[in-house]
Amino acid sequence: MAEINLKIKKKLDFPLEADSITPDNFAGKTAAAIKRLPLYYATKQVTIGDFFDVSGKSTDVADTKIIIDGDVSNVKRIGENMTGGEIVINSGVGMHVGNHMSGGKITVNGNADDWAGAMLEGGELEITGDAGHYVGSAYRGYWQGMKNGTIKVKGNVGVESMLWAKSSKPSNKWPTLYCGSADSFLGIHNHGGTIVVEGDVDRCVGADQAWGSIVIKGKVSRLLPSYKKVGEVKEVQLPNGEVIKGKFIEYSGDHTIKKETNGRLYVAA
Amino acid sequence: MVEKVRTVEDVCCPFCGTLCDDLEIDVDLKTDQVVEVRNGCQIGTKKYFSSNPSDHRYTKPLIRKNGEHVEVSWDEAIDKAADILVNAQRPLLYGFSSTECEAQSKGVELAEILNAILDNTASVCHGPSLLAIQDVGASLATLGEIKNRADTIIFWGSNPVHAHPRHLSRYSDFIRGYFRTDGRNDRYIVVVDPRYTHTAQIADKYIKVNPSEDYELIQAIRAMLRGSDLDVKEVSGVPIESIKELVDILKSSNFGVVFFGMGLTQTLAHHRNVDTAIRLVTELNDYTKFILIPMRGHYNVTGANVVFTWNTGYAYSIDFSRGYPRYNPGEFSSVELLMRDEVDAALIVASDPGSNFPAAAVKNLFKHPLIAIEPHKTPTSVFADVVLPVAIAGIECEGTAYRMDTVPLRLRKVKDAPGECLSDKEILERLIEKVREKMGE
Repeated sequence: MAEINLKIKKKLDFPLEADSITPDNFAGKTAAAIKRLPLYYATKQVTIGDFFDVSGKSTDVADTKIIIDGDVSNVKRIGENMTGGEIVINSGVGMHVGNHMSGGKITVNGNADDWAGAMLEGGELEITGDAGHYVGSAYRGYWQGMKNGTIKVKGNVGVESMLWAKSSKPSNKWPTLYCGSADSFLGIHNHGGTIVVEGDVDRCVGADQAWGSIVIKGKVSRLLPSYKKVGEVKEVQLPNGEVIKGKFIEYSGDHTIKKETNGRLYVAA
Repeated sequence: MVEKVRTVEDVCCPFCGTLCDDLEIDVDLKTDQVVEVRNGCQIGTKKYFSSNPSDHRYTKPLIRKNGEHVEVSWDEAIDKAADILVNAQRPLLYGFSSTECEAQSKGVELAEILNAILDNTASVCHGPSLLAIQDVGASLATLGEIKNRADTIIFWGSNPVHAHPRHLSRYSDFIRGYFRTDGRNDRYIVVVDPRYTHTAQIADKYIKVNPSEDYELIQAIRAMLRGSDLDVKEVSGVPIESIKELVDILKSSNFGVVFFGMGLTQTLAHHRNVDTAIRLVTELNDYTKFILIPMRGHYNVTGANVVFTWNTGYAYSIDFSRGYPRYNPGEFSSVELLMRDEVDAALIVASDPGSNFPAAAVKNLFKHPLIAIEPHKTPTSVFADVVLPVAIAGIECEGTAYRMDTVPLRLRKVKDAPGECLSDKEILERLIEKVREKMGE
């Protein structure tokens, strides 16, 4: 795999918008050409070369791996719209990392800010630390958010993660989020998204869920009154084929949407 | 007999979103001061009297020199303000909700020239309502419809007796309407609030909800409306029997309205409270006519949203940094920007973030150059580097304002502004001209 190394060389006073940092934009370019790609800083258009040291070379999209070093916790939109290849970020990262991504892989070795993997359409986003609010969610006003792909967050995810997630059985698309723990309104307006939480979850999980599966291996601080207990299960089969073993209480909901619903919430017994 | 006062009739009150349009103002012919206000509520009346010259009214432009505010000419003040804006890398234009629409559209123009961030007070008020409306739509009506037809009125997390004093008597409660000929006796009032407010005290039914647990209560109502029996005995401190009773009241009404205020939008869950309230109203339309209306605070915050929307496509939290408008509350909303210290200069128009924003945000706001277009001394203006004294819209200059139900009404001028005060529109026009000149356009 052809590697391109980026190292940030300036301290940022304002967020830097780096939607051009994707394997798609870097593919087939020399380091000098990559340096000329645009970035946005405050109200000005700048170039990658102004803010990053660039080395390495790239080939085609699928074979391009971008490694980013230095503190980029205030750099937004890395990996926006990427369709393939790989990005490794060895630091915390700013808002919107991997938004609208449809293929490839992003690894964040640190924390991610809000809207990580927003409107994801494919590929994999892995965050080893915590993620901010709206992980894998829809942007304001969209009725369909994350449609496919996987997000793995080792730590906590913020409020309203997986907002308006939408699966599709005919095209075998199962948007999935794995996380350590979650704040309130996890999986709100869920339309088929799958969520697996290793730890605890705050209030209003699965609010207005039309269908989908949410598995919580820890506790829920306050379950919605519109969820009803169905029974106990010893394993949960996820739509993507995965099986999770363990004793869970099965709840149906959200009954605000329909009297009889296929939405399911499993909480560790 | 020689007339000592001049009376201006049918005046539109520039205080709250109710925008009462029946005020009568007496102005002393000799001193050109407001001496009497009829029909107005206490707060609106006070606003008219506050326009009279006083030690806290600005009458001349001020610039901070050596830590003190010094009176300067308009040219010098505009020059200094333009300098601040042009030299800033990420300026914020905030406020606009207590001024008229023509000035607001000038604000949009200035923001676009400067590639600035543009925000109005909806950001800390009914912004969550706008977010929810974007997500799930909304069934709205004008206040006239409510006056003439509504028989079930719900005030959820709002206390109009104090915040919109004449709302009850003009539109929603005591007023007699075409189909509600007996006024108050023809209406059933429900108040949902953690506190037994003065509005609750005049209601037919009061529901005491636990603070910040409104979301769960509305979800329970919605599930019961769908015909589900719930597993629980109590939701958010409200017994299930009481919720059942409420569901029956809602379903059996002829025309219902939900008025909601900060109790929904600014408690935990924010826009999701409104989201589920809207869906409740939508679902109630399976049984009867139901609508909802946000109880907007500033008299023209609705106008700010409308004007910003027809100019940029978005109601608030707009970023022009890339030359075109982008919108994302949380990313481009004033409080969050200030908390992250991403703003390096601010122009505040007709607003007082100094006394409303969180302390950490205010601290960052005051750290950088600040311009205030302001008629009175406020916690914001005393920290400003440039103070531009303004004529109060609706008292000292004309304009357009939108009522909470998005009905536009014409504001009247009842008297002249004291000193050298100019209107918001005029000040912003002069600023735009100066900024263009400095940017070489």
